[in-house]
Amino acid sequence: MLRLENIDVHYGATQVLWDVSIEVGEGEMVAVMGPNGSGKSTVLKAAMGLKKPSSGRVVLDGEELQGRSATVRPRRGMSIVLERRRLFPRMSVRENIMLGGYARPSAEAHRSFDWVLDLLPEIRPHLDATAGKLSGGQQQMVAIARGLMARPRVLLMDEPFLGLSPAMVKNVFAIMKMINGEGVAILFNEQNAKLSFAMSHRGYLLESGRVVLSGSGEEMLEHPEVKRVYLGVREAVS
Amino acid sequence: MSVAGFLELVINGLISGSIYALIGSGIALIYGTTRVLNFAHGELLMIAGYLVFFFAVTLGWNVFLASLLTLVLVGAIGALIQRVTIAPLLAREDWAFRVIAATIGLSIFLQSGAQLVFGERFQSVPYFFRGVLVLGDLRMPWQRIAIFLIALAIMAVCALILYRTQLGRIVRATAQDAEAALAVGIPSGLVHTSVFVISAVLAGAGAILLSPLISVNPWMGISYLLKGFAVVILGGLGSFGGAVAAGFLLGLIESFSVGFAPTEWRDVIAFTFLIAVIWVRPNGLFSGREA
Amino acid sequence: MTEVFGRRPFLVLALLAAALLVVPFLPLNDYVLHILTVFLIFSVFATGWNLTLGILGLKTLGHHAFFAIGAYLSAITAYYGGVSPWLTVWVGALSAAAAGVFIGFPILRIRSMPHVAIVTLAFAEIVRLVFSNLKDITRGELGFWGIPPFDPITVGDMTVRFGIGNAVGSFALAAVFFLAVHLALLLLLTSRTGLTFLAIRDSETAAESLGIRLSAWKLFAFGVSAAVVGLSGAVYAHYVMILTPTSTAGPEMLITLLAMIIVGGVGRFFGPIAGALLLTVLSEVLREFGDFRMLLYGLVIIVFVFVAPHGIAGLRLGRLRKAERAEPGTAGAT
Repeated sequence: MLRLENIDVHYGATQVLWDVSIEVGEGEMVAVMGPNGSGKSTVLKAAMGLKKPSSGRVVLDGEELQGRSATVRPRRGMSIVLERRRLFPRMSVRENIMLGGYARPSAEAHRSFDWVLDLLPEIRPHLDATAGKLSGGQQQMVAIARGLMARPRVLLMDEPFLGLSPAMVKNVFAIMKMINGEGVAILFNEQNAKLSFAMSHRGYLLESGRVVLSGSGEEMLEHPEVKRVYLGVREAVS
Repeated sequence: MSVAGFLELVINGLISGSIYALIGSGIALIYGTTRVLNFAHGELLMIAGYLVFFFAVTLGWNVFLASLLTLVLVGAIGALIQRVTIAPLLAREDWAFRVIAATIGLSIFLQSGAQLVFGERFQSVPYFFRGVLVLGDLRMPWQRIAIFLIALAIMAVCALILYRTQLGRIVRATAQDAEAALAVGIPSGLVHTSVFVISAVLAGAGAILLSPLISVNPWMGISYLLKGFAVVILGGLGSFGGAVAAGFLLGLIESFSVGFAPTEWRDVIAFTFLIAVIWVRPNGLFSGREA
Repeated sequence: MTEVFGRRPFLVLALLAAALLVVPFLPLNDYVLHILTVFLIFSVFATGWNLTLGILGLKTLGHHAFFAIGAYLSAITAYYGGVSPWLTVWVGALSAAAAGVFIGFPILRIRSMPHVAIVTLAFAEIVRLVFSNLKDITRGELGFWGIPPFDPITVGDMTVRFGIGNAVGSFALAAVFFLAVHLALLLLLTSRTGLTFLAIRDSETAAESLGIRLSAWKLFAFGVSAAVVGLSGAVYAHYVMILTPTSTAGPEMLITLLAMIIVGGVGRFFGPIAGALLLTVLSEVLREFGDFRMLLYGLVIIVFVFVAPHGIAGLRLGRLRKAERAEPGTAGAT
């Protein structure tokens, strides 16, 4: 349903993505894995329209989105949970979540609000708290809730586990599974190969702005290159 | 100093402070949301001054009707300035300085334009409110007291809009994280235009309240723009509440400075205070409390 | 480097010198020489300001304060102290530099364009009001007149006189002043020091990580810039021999100089000279329409910001480099 075709992205004169093509099918969980600076955040921002590709296409359900403002995406069923949560820090949790439904008519937004709180009941006690004062894990919940308010059919998640405690990572992991179980496709990125591919239907490996490998989650985990470079290094470290 | 004399200084300080607060909070709102410094903000005062003079004196309309129409028009002009001169620059490299340069150019263009059209005549609007409040030794024209009260009311309405309406929420969201606001589908263009309208109305309200006390002339915006900027820096760049507080503080400082220095040194004292604060607290007096 | 200086900066300066050398031998009347003299003085002002505005990338808006300080302090010392203007101009320049360091210190710690712009503008307003209010010394807005011109120089049996009314001498002095300042700045900027300035402009963080002491360098640049502008103010004072606070430190001065720099090209070494020439000549041509001068300047600034943001100096380069337009949203606010 979501396709990025041959995307090139520049920051000023520096090119950061070369000819990146990524596909997310209906209800799929797809991981973009890569080391620091490989450009995986840029892939998501380009998909969301927050970063304008210099060439290539972004297509959602056959509709060309490339060149259109980021603000049309939530109306087309696509939303993003940005890296490091990026809540509106001096607004309440309730206001943050409600703004996630900005693109929808108010009655629908209120229905979404109830649906989101049913999915993530642990937010309920904090609704009137100031978002910036919550812990990192709580903020991630709120950020996910805000992303779900648009009732997306595909949710982009930029480094959803960054800076979270191991227990919280598990929690967020479970929530992603649950959201995906509701039929929401998820495209996320993550540095950790095991975490990325074990939980996803398909995965892409990004190195220096290029897709170097792609396949199903198991294929990626079993791939000798991934094993040697990413899983091997990781085991040596831990 | 007598009690009445002291009270008079306080009240005068609050009155000029309320004008500074109106202008400064508008500049702060724009800066906080769009990171733009609008050097043509003072000319919105000037335009509002001429408009209210035209409606209330030349056409002889009721002042409240004249004021209302002036506010509507000045808000529209604010939107026009944002759409035509500022929005197109935001997407370009080095936009922050380009916006400053372009709005400085616009400011002098509007001043000279007004001078050519209206000449150098200094025109005043008659008092809206007659009579003088007498409290013991204290005598204060109602017009001046009305400035303070109306300015407070306008700022309260503005705060209500910011904190209690959907428009206010999307303005604050954009101020706090522009990219995240874009990601949830908040159109930044609408937000930017809205804050320009709000701040133009705030400046216009200041000009209307001032118009009976000072004369309407092509250069009336200059000194208020500088004071507005000083207030924005003192209040912690981009903070609406900080700008309001700093506006009143600056008004009081100026009012009391007259107590120990000749009037022509008043602005020197005000701007020296600004520089002294920058030396000690570069982030302003009320930093940390933004929109 | 070539973006700032062009390919052969010293050759350009030599050509300028040659052009200036020819001028006195042309059949020009005193009025034209006067305009050229004003142009030369304002070029130095514009170049001095461009040092912080364009080359260091610090968006200051109060350099007319340094012009006024240089002008008034030199004039006051010469008028009341009876000291020769040949010496007092240095008093003016040093005072301006001291003021530059004083005002530069607090704002340089903050990497915020609004702070820099507003505080420098407020400082200029303080300076204007102080000179305006010290009526016992400066006569305020009535004008400080009777400022002595530079003492005449006698070479053999020829005496060269200066000040307004002595067009050839004043032009020659302004030309020497113009060339000397630009040569000195060019030598400074193409040395290691200049490279440091450019490194700071291009990336403060990168410059800092290379071990460049940002604040000290910026303060130094600010001081140099203020001194150059102050010196131009002092030379101006002893040329026109009358000063008013508003004509030196008022908003029109800010607009005039900003227009010159923007038209010439912010951050191009020779840009402001071209801008100063163009606008000085233009405003003389349109002299009859005096009331329209500021209207025109405002319009010129707006048009150049939109159409030719790098000024005339950038027009040629701009065409070659259309391809690398910066992308939206990458420019910082500070």
